[in-house]
Amino acid sequence: MATVQQLRRKRISDGLTVTQKVFVRSRNGSAQKVVREHYLRKDIPCLSRICDICPNIIVPNAAGELPKFVLSETPQELQGLGKHYVVVDANIIIQSIDLLENPNCFFDVIVPQIVLDEVRNKSYPIYTRIRALCRDSEDDVKRFVVFHNEFSEYTFIDRTGNESINDRNDRAIRKTVEWYTNHLKGKGINIVFVTNDRLNRQAALKDSLVAKSLAEYVDMLPNSEEIKDLIPNLAPISGMSSKMLEDDPEGHGAAKAEFSFPEYYSTSRIMGGLKNGSLYQGSIQISEYNFLEGTVSLPTFKKPVLVLGQKNLNRAFNGDLVVVELLPQSEWKAPSTVTMDSEHFNVNDNPDNDGEDDEGEPSGVLDDSGAIMSDKDRRLLAQSAILAQKSNKVQPTARVVGITRRSWRQYVGQITPTSVDPQSSGTQNVFVILMDKCLPKIRIRTRLAKQLLNKRIVISVDCWPENYRYPLGHFVRDLGDIESAQAETEALLLEHDVEYRPFSKKVLDCLPKEGHDWKAPEDLTDPEAIRNDPLLPSRKDFRDKLICSIDPPGCVDIDDALHAKQLPNGNWEVGVHIADVTHFVKPGTALDAEGASRGTSVYLVDKRIDMLPMLLGTDLCSLKPYVDRFAFSVVWELDNDANIVGVDFTKSVIRSREAFSYEKAQNRIDDETAKDELTLGMRALLQLSKKLKQKRLDAGALNLASPEVKVHMDSETSDPNEVEIKKLLDTNSLVEEFMLLANISVARKIYEAFPQTAMLRRHAAPPSTNFELLNEMLQVRKGMSISLESSKALADSLDRCEDPNDSYLNTLIRIMSTRCMMAAQYFHAGAFSYADFRHYGLAVDIYTHFTSPIRRYCDVVAHRQLAGAIGYEALDLSHRDKQKMEMICRNINKKHRNAQFAGRASIEYYVGQVMRNNESTETGYVIKVFNNGIAVLVPKFGVEGLIRLENLTENPQSAEFIEDQFSLRFVDKNGVSKEVSVFDKVEVQLKSVLDPATSKRKAQLLLK
Amino acid sequence: MSRFEIYSPEGLRVDGRRWNELRSFNCSINTHPNAADGSSYLEQGNNKIITLVAGPQEPSSRSQVNTKQATLSVTINLTKFAKMERSKSSHKNERRTLEWQASLVRTFEKNLMLHLYPRTSIDVQVHALQLDGGILGAMLNGITLALIDAGIAMYDFVSGVSVGLYDTTPLLDLNSLEENAMSSVTIGTIGKSEKLSLLMVEDKVPLDRLESVMAIGIAGTHRIRDLMDKELRKHGKTRVENSSN
Repeated sequence: MATVQQLRRKRISDGLTVTQKVFVRSRNGSAQKVVREHYLRKDIPCLSRICDICPNIIVPNAAGELPKFVLSETPQELQGLGKHYVVVDANIIIQSIDLLENPNCFFDVIVPQIVLDEVRNKSYPIYTRIRALCRDSEDDVKRFVVFHNEFSEYTFIDRTGNESINDRNDRAIRKTVEWYTNHLKGKGINIVFVTNDRLNRQAALKDSLVAKSLAEYVDMLPNSEEIKDLIPNLAPISGMSSKMLEDDPEGHGAAKAEFSFPEYYSTSRIMGGLKNGSLYQGSIQISEYNFLEGTVSLPTFKKPVLVLGQKNLNRAFNGDLVVVELLPQSEWKAPSTVTMDSEHFNVNDNPDNDGEDDEGEPSGVLDDSGAIMSDKDRRLLAQSAILAQKSNKVQPTARVVGITRRSWRQYVGQITPTSVDPQSSGTQNVFVILMDKCLPKIRIRTRLAKQLLNKRIVISVDCWPENYRYPLGHFVRDLGDIESAQAETEALLLEHDVEYRPFSKKVLDCLPKEGHDWKAPEDLTDPEAIRNDPLLPSRKDFRDKLICSIDPPGCVDIDDALHAKQLPNGNWEVGVHIADVTHFVKPGTALDAEGASRGTSVYLVDKRIDMLPMLLGTDLCSLKPYVDRFAFSVVWELDNDANIVGVDFTKSVIRSREAFSYEKAQNRIDDETAKDELTLGMRALLQLSKKLKQKRLDAGALNLASPEVKVHMDSETSDPNEVEIKKLLDTNSLVEEFMLLANISVARKIYEAFPQTAMLRRHAAPPSTNFELLNEMLQVRKGMSISLESSKALADSLDRCEDPNDSYLNTLIRIMSTRCMMAAQYFHAGAFSYADFRHYGLAVDIYTHFTSPIRRYCDVVAHRQLAGAIGYEALDLSHRDKQKMEMICRNINKKHRNAQFAGRASIEYYVGQVMRNNESTETGYVIKVFNNGIAVLVPKFGVEGLIRLENLTENPQSAEFIEDQFSLRFVDKNGVSKEVSVFDKVEVQLKSVLDPATSKRKAQLLLK
Repeated sequence: MSRFEIYSPEGLRVDGRRWNELRSFNCSINTHPNAADGSSYLEQGNNKIITLVAGPQEPSSRSQVNTKQATLSVTINLTKFAKMERSKSSHKNERRTLEWQASLVRTFEKNLMLHLYPRTSIDVQVHALQLDGGILGAMLNGITLALIDAGIAMYDFVSGVSVGLYDTTPLLDLNSLEENAMSSVTIGTIGKSEKLSLLMVEDKVPLDRLESVMAIGIAGTHRIRDLMDKELRKHGKTRVENSSN
């Protein structure tokens, strides 16, 4: 029998006692007893402004600051609750963080420490969000406090003998509620405990505390109507722990037992399995062509393991960290050659009758969704399996048996019109199709279904019980009409996790007070100026140098400028001058924190999301012509063959003589009559840059391609009206070469000074498996091959891939090779050994980003480190700490990737808009052949599209897919037999269509 | 990511202390009167240490004889059950242990009047029964007490404590969870002075933060000195009472 064991408490001094926390945990399969000291104190304040006791007990922290009393003396007053503060439990926070962040409800909230700890362990992102709410609670709209109940002598409780940890924690929360209730009793403020756990609520009521479920509480709010929709959607599940779910206001009815996913394995079984090697853990990638096919890369296997079909995927989302179990060898398959997306899959499922046949859907292609779905699913899978066996390219397959970490975030999507009942005006279940086509549709409950039709909306996923075919979520907010530029842009930014809100006041306060009137001091020895900026004397005055900048037309954030001058010994002095952003962005300020979290500026077709406020980016830092600006200069002495004789780094002040666009600079250089010194300097730069480029190519630098296009906007209506493929001039590469040179020189310098924490950028060599498919296609179709021995060999073999009849083929192969490459990444020098610093694409041993500090945070860090390396000013601690550098790198890598995706998605959207007005026939290239369609790239618009078999032929059954030849043979609509293979040049008809299911405009291609 | 808030924005540490608070400190001396010439038992948080001093005595071998002063040796025994997990090795010849032994010897050589005991050896054994971070500081305190019990002449107390640096906040007297999460410094102070007899920095600590770290560390060692002093006086008092009876 369990006995109640009172742990020893020892009084140390007045208001401080110590006890021991004792628990047993399992580690590596064996039990381990853990004993930790636990101090209890009486000086933990309630943080309510109305309290007259707590202000006497508080003590300052290490910086001498006293805690701020945040909770209002006049909190929200509700019928039946009176003036009240809210205490929440962990599940409320985890499931309804959006609701807590909503500025129209939950004003005064107390988060007990035990709750915060649970949130932290379950979801770190939500923990940071709730912590941000507490941190920003000074602004008086939302007032959140953390009460350290576990450390307060009044509220700490010991676990009794027969109590589970969860029960003990629930009791600890109730104890906190009780303490607050008594503490503020005489002050007319009530405490409301909001929890969805019925047992906990009953226990609280028994102790005569006030407890409500989330729905009950929201009902009492004056603005409950608008808030109700934001309540998370949780299905009642029998057998699930009573903690999580219940209290569905109307009850979803008994869940249908007919459809059910396999249950996840228990934690202990997963732990055991991972340990003995029968289970594997990895992050799952859903194929972008087929949402029912996922791959998990595991270190134990050379090729990724396949996960095929809904049941095997078992509710995994793209990017989740999952645990998989291999299937028997008889079920191993090759990756499917079928394309499938969730948008066109099961369009007629009824959100109300999940998994059950429904009573006559309108406008159905398929009548009986449930049965057909799984059959179709199975048939397609079986088909590809047979094909796989034929070609003998089977891969191991696996099924998901557990999900370690969900990648759930907020998603953007739109309600499928077919799932809305136009007659009903009450709450109904509807489906939301997400923008990300690798994800399934989400079921939400809303009263606003009709209003939200044809709108882009933000939703959040709540849970995915095993007897629901689709995950459940709830509506968060409405972005605006589909295809309105504003809603689409916002959707795009949200979808790529780009922070686009205006800069906060705290950030703007860090800018120089003079604003646009800020001026670089006339005289660097002026004592007045030196008093303001003691580092001024160590700047060099380069205002006499003939410096100019060359950028794309219309560029306002100019971060680099150049100059060249012949030295008396015949060598060249070449200077690259980079905007001195770190003069304004000092480490540890709110401005720096904002820049670090944004990581990069994001360039969309019609919009730029800045990393730093406008004032800096486009004025004070921007190296505008004719004005004095601070710069960080790299000055080399180069000989006539562009070999580096010497290099010098210095902070400086410069005056740019002219801001050229690439084209203007090219004209100026080509203009033979121009003989002024500036032009001579530019010509010298051009000559030197050509030599630099040649050297780089000789060393094996790659020349890859991407189908990049530029969208022209009508200047009056700002409607997109033309698409153009980006042109490259000599001057483009002039600037590029010197930027590369500067980056390399700086990388060497900061690595020398900070061998552990220097901010660098690397590009790993691609593994040969990445190129397997491309090489095989080339071999079969064109008799060519790509060598992967070294970057030099790759570059040479790419050069050899020429088809005399088709000049574009080479570019096409380059585009396809680019997709096989690894992504370059930022890292700190301590993370890899020197040999792994290599930048494969540029063929240099060390590299960093230094030249665009206005738009990239990496460059800001590199600037600070270089300033430290040359002894200009001491380097901030955060850039000398490996862990912090690791965090910075991880963040900017992510942001960089997201920014690229967002930029591409924006171009894609606008290209769609352009094509809307001009339907045309263009030349395209087949880049992939599937069992049931072909993927075609149209270089002119840089668009890629899928032509389904249904659109190629009248008779899909007659089509034959010849896998080893990468071709598809079919009878076209005119009855002529045709065969299409990879790399074939085809004429396609291009038009832009609005997909009825997803309301997404995309290019539709039809073979001519 | 650590599972815990090592130092919360509200200013509380993982075990509920504030930044400048020591762990509970208990000590007693003359705990093993029959087994050694001097002995002490010390609890600093969940560190539990027995220290035994033998000597001044005749060295076991000729080669150890120093005609000028006594030879001081320190042996550290980290018991196999001292950590959460039972360790297989005895930690006896580990680099870290040897380093600690060497620095303890060097610290006390300066503080003991060894020249009063030429041709003898003084052997100190430290047995750690339970470990919970900041062990080197705890060993300094334990050895000081045992040496006093053995009646060996010394100039003043040596008291030690570890201080960590979490972001910009110095944290006094780290436990093992905190020690794993941040870089720390162990400080040994002589008496109530600001003279350091030991400064052990095992990880990197930024130079411009070291001053604030040392300031709080010195204050901590002074507090420990007072606690040890109180215990000694209490012990002395009972001893005098017992002998007079």
